Amino acid sequence: MARMKFICDAERCIECNGCVTACKNEHEVPWGVNRRRVVTINDGVPGERSMSVACMHCSDAPCMAVCPVDCFYRTDEGVVLHDKDLCIGCGYCFYACPFGAPQFPQAGAFGLRGKMDKCTFCAGGPEKNASEDEFRKYGRNRLAEGKLPLCAEVCSTKALLGGDADVLADIYRQRVTTRGKGADIWGWSTAYGKPDAPARQPDAGGKS
Amino acid sequence: MTQHFSWLVRLLCCIGALMALPLQPALAADAAEQATSQQFQPLNNAPVWREVRSGDAHYTTVKGVETGVLIQSGGQTWRALRNGPVMLYGGIAFCAMVILLAVFFKLKGPIMLSGAKTGRLIHRFNSLERASHWAMAISFCVLAVSGLVMLFGKHVLLPVFGYSLFATVAVVCKNVHNFIGPLFILSVVVFIVLFIKDNIWQSIDALWIRKAGGLLTGEHVPSHRFNFGEKTWFWLGVVGLSTIVGVSGLVLNFPNFEQGRWVMQTANIVHLIGSLLVMTLSLAHIYIGSIGMESALDGMKTGYVDETWAREHHELWYDEAMKTQPATQPAGGMPVTARV
Repeated sequence: MARMKFICDAERCIECNGCVTACKNEHEVPWGVNRRRVVTINDGVPGERSMSVACMHCSDAPCMAVCPVDCFYRTDEGVVLHDKDLCIGCGYCFYACPFGAPQFPQAGAFGLRGKMDKCTFCAGGPEKNASEDEFRKYGRNRLAEGKLPLCAEVCSTKALLGGDADVLADIYRQRVTTRGKGADIWGWSTAYGKPDAPARQPDAGGKS
Repeated sequence: MTQHFSWLVRLLCCIGALMALPLQPALAADAAEQATSQQFQPLNNAPVWREVRSGDAHYTTVKGVETGVLIQSGGQTWRALRNGPVMLYGGIAFCAMVILLAVFFKLKGPIMLSGAKTGRLIHRFNSLERASHWAMAISFCVLAVSGLVMLFGKHVLLPVFGYSLFATVAVVCKNVHNFIGPLFILSVVVFIVLFIKDNIWQSIDALWIRKAGGLLTGEHVPSHRFNFGEKTWFWLGVVGLSTIVGVSGLVLNFPNFEQGRWVMQTANIVHLIGSLLVMTLSLAHIYIGSIGMESALDGMKTGYVDETWAREHHELWYDEAMKTQPATQPAGGMPVTARV
């Protein structure tokens, strides 16, 4: 079974924000919610690098660990999803997440945040695949249609890749060998553990 | 027109420049190192990779709380603390107190009055004092139960209730917790104002400390209106811990001010440690104020205590009350209204 991951190649990202726009449009996410964003390090300085960031679908997901109602689950492909019907909008996943992935439609007084929303790796939620409920709550389920995440698919420089980690790693390795620089894959050690400490294997399907 | 506002523009520029000052040196140093590195070692982009993990905010078009930060490492620390020692030791302390009190009750039973009740009543708490105490007590219990559900419910209730029911319970708990919280803080403030005068330490408290409150010997140690145990609970539980828990709770309760994640993580840990401590200690207070001592609840329930209870537990206060208004009424008669 494939293990789904994202790679953002900082040597290639041109900060066009195409991924951000494509994601917003594909899933019709509400105003103020951005499942993906592009951050430019030292903007305007020689050597600046841009990186697209969203939920990285961590191996040992901190959101899952701190959720007081255990609304997160991991699919067989390692995608971290959540159940909006269970979410109480406490904001803990946002405090714990290293990437700032969890989003809330509101930031109201008395902790009224609404249901958490985040990148689903275009894999929907617990509802029936391609159902109206699934689309309304989580956006399109492209994985169920045999497609990969749209943000990566539309990336004009192929900086952002999404898919089976083994395939991504091979592509990236080839790139690094060819260009002779930019070997760092930002975020991977945070999301999937350091190479010398193998990441915990995803639990077998269902609630964990 | 522009003349009129030029001073304002200049002022705003100055303020802006001042606010940017603390950020400027650090960013400039990193950026300068990056620029140099690009010139002399174009293949080494180490300054950028350091920035990725630094937690500093950089440029992004997406608006929101700390959207410019690529990776924050505080979350992992928060998670490790919350899911680790805070929950473990907090849970152990709370359960240990329950067991300790149960054992103490089983072994020693309630602290009984030595003499018989005379039936003459002395006014101990007026209605405002009782109202503030019970407002605080009820909101405290609601907050404690809802807070415990949100902290430990995942491990204790969820396996029993199942996902749907537990999520419903938890969302009710969360909203009740968030709306009752400010009322608790209000009642704490009123309570402190009303009771601070009689909780200031007095020389007689040394005796109480020396005899450990007579807790083990069963001896009644004289005291003024409140003994040293009650005073300690006032200063530690109400003034100290409840204030800390209240302030950190307010920080957590109003995300609309867009506090950063570090502020929320810190506030949450402070809130958890403070509340677990105060909940654990409150069990002892609730115990001694209800089943742990004969007639202890009467004062807060009705406002009046029996003459015998007053003499045995708060002898000096009783003496003063008697001086102000001697208990002349016969047994079972009208309550004495003296209050010191």
